[in-house]
Amino acid sequence: MGKSWLRNYTIKRLIYAVIIAWGILTITFVLVRVGPSSPADKYLANLAARGQDVAQVRAAIEARYGLDKPIYEQYIDYMGNLFQGNWGWSFSTSMPVIKLIKTHWIYSFQLILLSSLFAALLGILIGIYSAVKQYTKTDYAFTFFSFVGISIPNFWLGVMLILIFSVKLGLFKTYYDTTLPLFSLDNLKALVLPVITLGTGMLAGYVRYTRSAMLDNLRKAFVTTARAKGLPERTVIGKHVFRNALLPLITIIMFDLGSIVFGGAYLTEIIFGIPGLGQISFNAIFANDYPVVVAVTIIGTFMVLLVNLLTDITYTYLDPRIRYD
Amino acid sequence: MDNEILKVKNLKTYFFTRHGIVKAVDGVDFDLRHGECLCLVGESGCGKTVTALSILRLFDSPPGKIVDGQISYDGLNLTTCSSEQLRQIRGKDIAIVFQEAQSALNPVLTIGDQIIEQIKLHLPVDYARARDRAKTLLGEMGIPSAESVMSYYPHQLSGGMKQRVLIAMGLSCDPQILIADEPTTAVDVTIKAQILDIFLELKTSRQMSIIFITHDLAVVAEIGDRAVVMYGGKDVETAPVSEIIGNPKHPYTSGLIECLPDISKSTGKLASIPGTTPNPIKIPPGCAFHPRCPKAMEICSQQEPPETTISKEHKVNCHLYT
Amino acid sequence: MIKRLRDIIKRVSQHLRLNTRLINYYWQRTRRNKLAVSGLAFIIFLVALAIIGPFFTLDPTEANFEEKNIPPIGFVTEQSIYSIETDEFTTKEVPGTWKHPLGTDSKGRDMMAMIVSGARVSLQVGLIATGIAIILGTIIGVLSAYLGGWVDNALMRFTDIMMTFPFFLLLVLIIFIFGPSLAFIVLAIGLTGWTGTARLIRSESLSLRTREFVVAAKALGASDNRVIFRHLIPNVISLIIVIATLSIPGVILAEAALSFIGLGDPTVSSWGIILEAGQHSLNTAWWVAVEPGIMLFLTVLAFNFLGDGLRDAFDPKSNI
Repeated sequence: MGKSWLRNYTIKRLIYAVIIAWGILTITFVLVRVGPSSPADKYLANLAARGQDVAQVRAAIEARYGLDKPIYEQYIDYMGNLFQGNWGWSFSTSMPVIKLIKTHWIYSFQLILLSSLFAALLGILIGIYSAVKQYTKTDYAFTFFSFVGISIPNFWLGVMLILIFSVKLGLFKTYYDTTLPLFSLDNLKALVLPVITLGTGMLAGYVRYTRSAMLDNLRKAFVTTARAKGLPERTVIGKHVFRNALLPLITIIMFDLGSIVFGGAYLTEIIFGIPGLGQISFNAIFANDYPVVVAVTIIGTFMVLLVNLLTDITYTYLDPRIRYD
Repeated sequence: MDNEILKVKNLKTYFFTRHGIVKAVDGVDFDLRHGECLCLVGESGCGKTVTALSILRLFDSPPGKIVDGQISYDGLNLTTCSSEQLRQIRGKDIAIVFQEAQSALNPVLTIGDQIIEQIKLHLPVDYARARDRAKTLLGEMGIPSAESVMSYYPHQLSGGMKQRVLIAMGLSCDPQILIADEPTTAVDVTIKAQILDIFLELKTSRQMSIIFITHDLAVVAEIGDRAVVMYGGKDVETAPVSEIIGNPKHPYTSGLIECLPDISKSTGKLASIPGTTPNPIKIPPGCAFHPRCPKAMEICSQQEPPETTISKEHKVNCHLYT
Repeated sequence: MIKRLRDIIKRVSQHLRLNTRLINYYWQRTRRNKLAVSGLAFIIFLVALAIIGPFFTLDPTEANFEEKNIPPIGFVTEQSIYSIETDEFTTKEVPGTWKHPLGTDSKGRDMMAMIVSGARVSLQVGLIATGIAIILGTIIGVLSAYLGGWVDNALMRFTDIMMTFPFFLLLVLIIFIFGPSLAFIVLAIGLTGWTGTARLIRSESLSLRTREFVVAAKALGASDNRVIFRHLIPNVISLIIVIATLSIPGVILAEAALSFIGLGDPTVSSWGIILEAGQHSLNTAWWVAVEPGIMLFLTVLAFNFLGDGLRDAFDPKSNI
């Protein structure tokens, strides 16, 4: 009974995810077309300032992008192009957007992955400890620090870390070098400050959520039952309480990913010069290179969609109460 | 008497809260003899559950503390022994079964998991034997298809089944003493009868020593050998069940008995004891029951009544008899 | 005098049909949380700073290259000055002065004035944008819960879609397309930040309808109107207040982040823009990066403390 229900649920969620994906693309399309200027206008203005022949370039762009066609035709073209992997050409770098994305996404991924691991491991441990030692000074201290961690603007933290460590102390001066392998020592050293920057906010969140989930479960009756069985305290906390706390924790953490992490990664990449998708979007903004900005937005959103989907299915799979109903 | 296996003397468990000191247990004495079923009786809030928790020191320890008293078991004083010693006794020599089975079982672990965990903790058996033992226990508790139930999660079972699982868990390591905290309160009447049957069976066939906590005198009559009536954190009367029901000395005990609805009486109001149980932070001075007692005298509001021996087996704390 | 003030407050709250006893109860509970109270104190200070500060400070836009890169009061830095006449660098010690208590930036603009002006921007954006988001979210949430059926379905699907967009990326896209004016920024933040509110309000409204006290009220004969106004709305208002207080920091940070990456309104001195400039002069004028950041940090912290305290105060199950 459990297995086939799970499969049906997964399929349902997949279909739903496709609908959301469609919605995302449509809204993005609407936003771009509703804008006050034609997407090419800004770029053309740049060209004009540099004295190039605007009319010719404009004609070429409009022809290539079909900007002179009626709106619904543009929409169909847009969707069709996306599916075929034709995401347009970057105005400023003259590369197909999809190529830009392919070469740069890995660096964003690395940053986010390392920061998440750092935040999750440390955060969950501190959260558990804080919950178990509730009302002690250590708990108050950790709680206060988690407030601080959530409240620090992450871009300021990055600048401050650079100020303290690179400028004043002279450490961590390496810059990220794409010619070296991803996990080379130099690159990892260059990633220390960025990971701390991006990870601190996440860490504080993990601490708060873990602590709260643990506290919720520490009061429950089955904990007394576990102790009455004669189990050592670390088993009571580590096995019984934590497994109950883990379930809601996973969902909260994963769903938070979209709102906090991607924005934070964007800023962190800019501050530390990490050549990820945030960086190229940032460069594109100043070059008025709209296809790139749009593409990065869409990719980011799809990542969130993917993570949400995975979390949803994982949670459903893990929670026995939902599975066997 | 050398038949005693557990002796509670002047137990005092207080909870130190922001609103004041809650004297949940304030000087309780009783002993448990081998093979008997001792009932702790009283309304909610009288301290019977905390007394049971105190035996194994299972109450929440930052607010709660045993401030006085001894609990003698097997040569140890359970109020002061180390946590290591206590943990070896918990679940193995003294087991406790809670009420509200829905929340007492861990929702994310299977039934089998939870029972086997306890067996493997205390007994030197391998996994396969532990599993067999768990399965047998479930069967003995009257749970059908024990094999499938082993892999069920708590929410898949009915209330009565969950309670039986809890009892099975309690018995898994063959404890000398079983404490049952209101196991029949949160279930409906038909299940209640079945659960009581289980306990009767435990008493007769296994000669298990049981501390049975309840507020229901009818249950006491059916299953108990001796009873300790509690009020306001203290024990007010201790006697064999026949004496408690037939010859109650303390006005509270007689009040409780009169409250039992009598189906033979067709008219008249239901009897009740006027007033409500005292707020454990503000227990009345002297005898805690005096504001509600129909036979209260002046001395009752001033002095705590000392223990009076009515007969060899019957003790009461009441100024009527000093 | 104080008595007259109290009378006036009483009459006003009566007219507004405010439940003063309830408000007082919640206020007492909040007061016990020291962090929340200090947060509130800081916010009041900030509001005062934003409103009357500009009258006391120098002009934040006045650039004065003679006085560039002066450190805050109490600090002394060394600057290398190149002199055309002598063709060499001389290092000069530059101490902070009271004329510029927080120092100056690389163009000689007074930091104190810029910070105060930035407070204004942040608070305006914070309050207005949050207001828009909350109102929008509440309307959608309540409509969804009340009308149910396909309206609920459609609105929730739409909310799901909007929620999937990472907040900041969507903001960047919108401002990139529509242009970085303060009005657009406020509007954009408001129009993208309502999703969480909508969800929460909707679920609270749904659960309230079936809560026992509502059923009991109806069983006692209460009309629909009465149920809505005397039972549902007070419960939702406390939720709205908590959501609003906890949303403001996110909004302020969003505007600061936009300014930081250059998508802010250039005619306005937001803390984010100051921070961005400071990023490039860490060697020569580190205070330009530190000061706006501290302000942002304290502001966000204050709202978080207050919001958390309010949430605990409103929650009947928390043991205050």
